[in-house]
Amino acid sequence: MKVFSSETEFEYSWDEVSTANWRKYCPWNEKSTHVIAVDTLSRSIDPDTGVLRTERLITCSQSAPKWLQPFLGGHEMSHVHETSYVNPTARTVTMCSTNLTWSDLLSVRETVTYRPSPGAPHSSTRFEQNAQITALCGGWQKVRNGIEQFSVERFQQNATKGKEGFEMVLEMSRKVFAQEREKARA
Amino acid sequence: MSASLAPECNEVKERYDSCFLKWYSEKFLRGNAKTDECAPLFKQYKDCLSKALKERGIDTMVEEARANQKELDAEYMKTS
Repeated sequence: MKVFSSETEFEYSWDEVSTANWRKYCPWNEKSTHVIAVDTLSRSIDPDTGVLRTERLITCSQSAPKWLQPFLGGHEMSHVHETSYVNPTARTVTMCSTNLTWSDLLSVRETVTYRPSPGAPHSSTRFEQNAQITALCGGWQKVRNGIEQFSVERFQQNATKGKEGFEMVLEMSRKVFAQEREKARA
Repeated sequence: MSASLAPECNEVKERYDSCFLKWYSEKFLRGNAKTDECAPLFKQYKDCLSKALKERGIDTMVEEARANQKELDAEYMKTS
């Protein structure tokens, strides 16, 4: 098993971040182009806690290195299932994702949280990401290690792109919201 | 907004996503989420999507993943 973790801060309020998060993979994000579709499977509010629970199906086009392709089969698209929880009282967004494609070969479990930054809770949001990557194929230690190593590296690349792309979405969202407020006033 | 994996669902998805985003920022975050006014749009979108998932043969793997959610729900929707 390999573990990937990262954390960063976004200089936007938790309200802005948690709203923009729903359109993280829109055309404003020019970096995360491997995400080609995001579909909502279910959505509900838990009556006891007020937590908004959402399930989404995320579709990616991602090419694996040549040496890995025989093990992966001919999939051009891969799917990820994500369950997220927005707790409006605690002001947290938690997103838990797991891979659907290649699940007999590889288990990728990712948890992401957004919470107000302890240092600047009104203007800044802390992002934490944690992923556990385990190759499941029996036998070949070398192949297992290779798959895990490749997955961690890919994760790292996508995390960097994800942050850059999300910054673009946050900036555009702030502009659009300001314009809408302006229009409403006029 | 992001596209749907099923192009035939894009139009209704777009309408649902806009409705949801407005509801989320204007009602949910302000603690005024009494009713879900986007429910009728979500139903239309979901009907379209369910059909598309079945046609593409990915409905079963989605259902399997959904079945393993109990622990997450217990952890993130506990009453404190």
